[in-house]
Amino acid sequence: MWAAWRRVRQIVQIAFFALFVALLFAGLQRQGSGENGLDWVTGFFFRINPLSALAAMLAGREWLGSLGWALATISLTILLGRVWCGWTCPLGSLLEWVHFRRARSNARSIPASLRSVKYFLLAVILIAALFGNLSLLILEPLALLTRAMTTVVIPGFNVAINGSEATLYNLSFLRPAVDWLESALRGPVLPVKQPAFNAPGWVALLFVGVIALNWLADRFWCRYLCPLGALLGWLSKISIFRPGIGEACTGCTRCAIACKPGAIRVKSASEAARSAADIHIMASECTVCLDCLNSCAKDGMGIKPVTQPEKSHEFDLSRRQFLQAAAVGTAGVLLARSDLRSRAKNSALIRPPGVLDENEFLAKCLRCSECMKVCPTTALQPALGEAGLEGLWTPILMARVGYCDYGCNACGQVCPSGAIAALPLEEKRQAVIGKASVNRNRCLPWASGIPCIVCEEMCPTPQKAIRLETITAVNEAGEMVELQQPYVLRDLCIGCGICENHCPLEGEAAIRVYAGG
Amino acid sequence: MKSQKRPLTRSGFLKLSAAAAVSAGLWGCSSRTAQPAAGPDQAANEIQQDDRAPAQAANETTKDDRAAAQTANQATQSPAGATHVATEPTTEQAYLAAAHGEDVEAVVKAALAALGGIERFVKQGHDVIIKPNICVDYHTPEYAATTNPTVVACLTTLCLGAGAKRVRVMDMPFGGAPDSAYAISGIEEAVKAAGGEMEIMSPVKFSKFDIPEGKSIKNWEIYRAILEADVLIDVPIAKHHSLARLTLGAKNLLGTVKSPNQIHQNLGQRIADLVSVIRPTLTVIDAVRVLMAHGPTGGSLDDVKQLNTVIASHDIVAADAYGATLFGLKGADIAYIKKSAEMGLGTLDLTSLKVEEINV
Repeated sequence: MWAAWRRVRQIVQIAFFALFVALLFAGLQRQGSGENGLDWVTGFFFRINPLSALAAMLAGREWLGSLGWALATISLTILLGRVWCGWTCPLGSLLEWVHFRRARSNARSIPASLRSVKYFLLAVILIAALFGNLSLLILEPLALLTRAMTTVVIPGFNVAINGSEATLYNLSFLRPAVDWLESALRGPVLPVKQPAFNAPGWVALLFVGVIALNWLADRFWCRYLCPLGALLGWLSKISIFRPGIGEACTGCTRCAIACKPGAIRVKSASEAARSAADIHIMASECTVCLDCLNSCAKDGMGIKPVTQPEKSHEFDLSRRQFLQAAAVGTAGVLLARSDLRSRAKNSALIRPPGVLDENEFLAKCLRCSECMKVCPTTALQPALGEAGLEGLWTPILMARVGYCDYGCNACGQVCPSGAIAALPLEEKRQAVIGKASVNRNRCLPWASGIPCIVCEEMCPTPQKAIRLETITAVNEAGEMVELQQPYVLRDLCIGCGICENHCPLEGEAAIRVYAGG
Repeated sequence: MKSQKRPLTRSGFLKLSAAAAVSAGLWGCSSRTAQPAAGPDQAANEIQQDDRAPAQAANETTKDDRAAAQTANQATQSPAGATHVATEPTTEQAYLAAAHGEDVEAVVKAALAALGGIERFVKQGHDVIIKPNICVDYHTPEYAATTNPTVVACLTTLCLGAGAKRVRVMDMPFGGAPDSAYAISGIEEAVKAAGGEMEIMSPVKFSKFDIPEGKSIKNWEIYRAILEADVLIDVPIAKHHSLARLTLGAKNLLGTVKSPNQIHQNLGQRIADLVSVIRPTLTVIDAVRVLMAHGPTGGSLDDVKQLNTVIASHDIVAADAYGATLFGLKGADIAYIKKSAEMGLGTLDLTSLKVEEINV
């Protein structure tokens, strides 16, 4: 019987992982935004994610309806335990599928007390959230996975495909094949603009690190570190239906061996003396994967309703540890807030349109990078130092990389928490994110007497925020030439950055957008 | 712990290769490094300096050639045999036709009929590319920033009617993504209804081509299919432009090359240089609605003027020269038209030509 259920679980896992990948591509560079309603769906996993919901609501001190679906996950957890971890979580599935041969024997030498790290981390995150800080949501598993996919895996995939296609396209007899591939993939799978992100190595390091930890123990991350797992584990202590050991148990410990998250404890008695009472499944650590039920030789296990909350374990957070976590959280927030970047606003800190208040934004942004994924020009980039310690990997606009497209409002549409307001297109076009100014020491017509009007040409505002003044001047060759020199009408400029992006000058643009408009 | 060394197993080798591949991918992913197949705005052609005095141009371009030659597998290619043949009209056929009227489809058909019909340009089995102006993804066609969809669709129908194997329509917008621009311009819907295809101009399908007659640029990265198609129909919308003064047929060809912003220095000559290799088979200027100011993007209906005119000619210079007159200018006032004529790419003087005006 349990073999079939185990199979069902595997199918559900694969289905959710496939859904995750499908949504990843559905929202790629604005594929899913607009009237087709996919914009809601692209953030699906974040909308049912209790940790980001709880933290963002604590930090923002408001009920965020878009994240309210997390209540469904919470209810399910109270009913059935950490089914999220075993059945739904795409990172959990990935970590389950990556298996190292040494993991099982390595795991024996890891003390159970390490499990408290995740509860500690959860406490730090929630304490910091009380102060309006969400920095550590970078470790929230879905954000971690989405960020790695957006800024590392998809760009790498594109480099590989584009690079090989460009090489093959040089050979005339292969051109039809490339043409066919292009017409099939360009758009739905391959974005038109090669995505590239700021310092993806750090994101990759974290992601690969999380996977590599599997070498120490199966699902190491889920067992010891995952803050979302901690929250769900804590809720599972009162879950109603749990796997349990039955009367038929012979103490063979096959279940404990089969358990990937290592949630089954065996009291050290000799095998002959062991009975059901010596084997205990820790509800807070169990991911309801059903492997144990399937492994039982005697059919001695089953899912049973339990009314008693689970007794505490030695790795549960003690009062002392909780106070330590509170101290760490508070100190971390103080450190982040005393960063110069949080005091003096960085001119490079250009936020997506619809962000009005920096502090409010930082208290709502889930660090999920969905906005960067949908941005059609890859203008939105993960901040490293620009937004201070507190704003690590939050979205900023880098105009030399991409510009805010006048016809696009996708970032606000996909933002799961509303940190970027979902502005209608007409309103987004009025939203000021910065102001452009011309550097007359570099600008071709101003500095070198060379005609150029690209910034004016690009300016999408109907009345042109960049205007041209026609003058006669002497150029570098000593000739009299008629020139058009650009200048910015600050009242009309919305800071979209297309001027800076397209400025033909080598290196730093001669027209730049600065934050703080 | 085992201390003996094991030989590299197959799975070990695969793991190592995977790690190497991932790090190579990462290396290429950082936005700080140059991309081999980056978006058009990031790509750098060899020529970045402006040839300030024409006399210097020759020197600079030879330098560029050397630089190009050094770049392995980026060698320039000769477009020989790839340029389109613009058929000369017979004595009965108009050299240039300008049709006026409110029924856009009838106007397009009338203009082409005066030239001798689309069959003069499109033969059975031809592979046709239509290049409209779809410069941004944020204005619907009423704003006259993008070519009238009816004009493009009508040309598509005519080409397919003349036996074209397929008709592809493409442009590379500078503002926004092509797929959304195709949709918002109304061109995608109209072309698909007419049986044509919309092609996204992939960054991987540009190659560097020689411009043997070029005076300011000697080579440039051009979308290969544009040169290799049997027939290229250039369908600009007549618009205001601050530097070029007007955007017409030759200027519209900037949408077929990489790094168009680098063309903007010495714009007139560089556009003429591009025309010398791209040579559209037919130029059809959409002046149904024209944008009189704040071009090329526009965005205000106050700047749009209804002219209900379509101009067609095999000669891109003549077509552009006629287009200029709609704005009260002469062909010689527009640098790229003048330079193209000086290179012998077409005729500037409309008085010497058989121009047919048709009212529908």
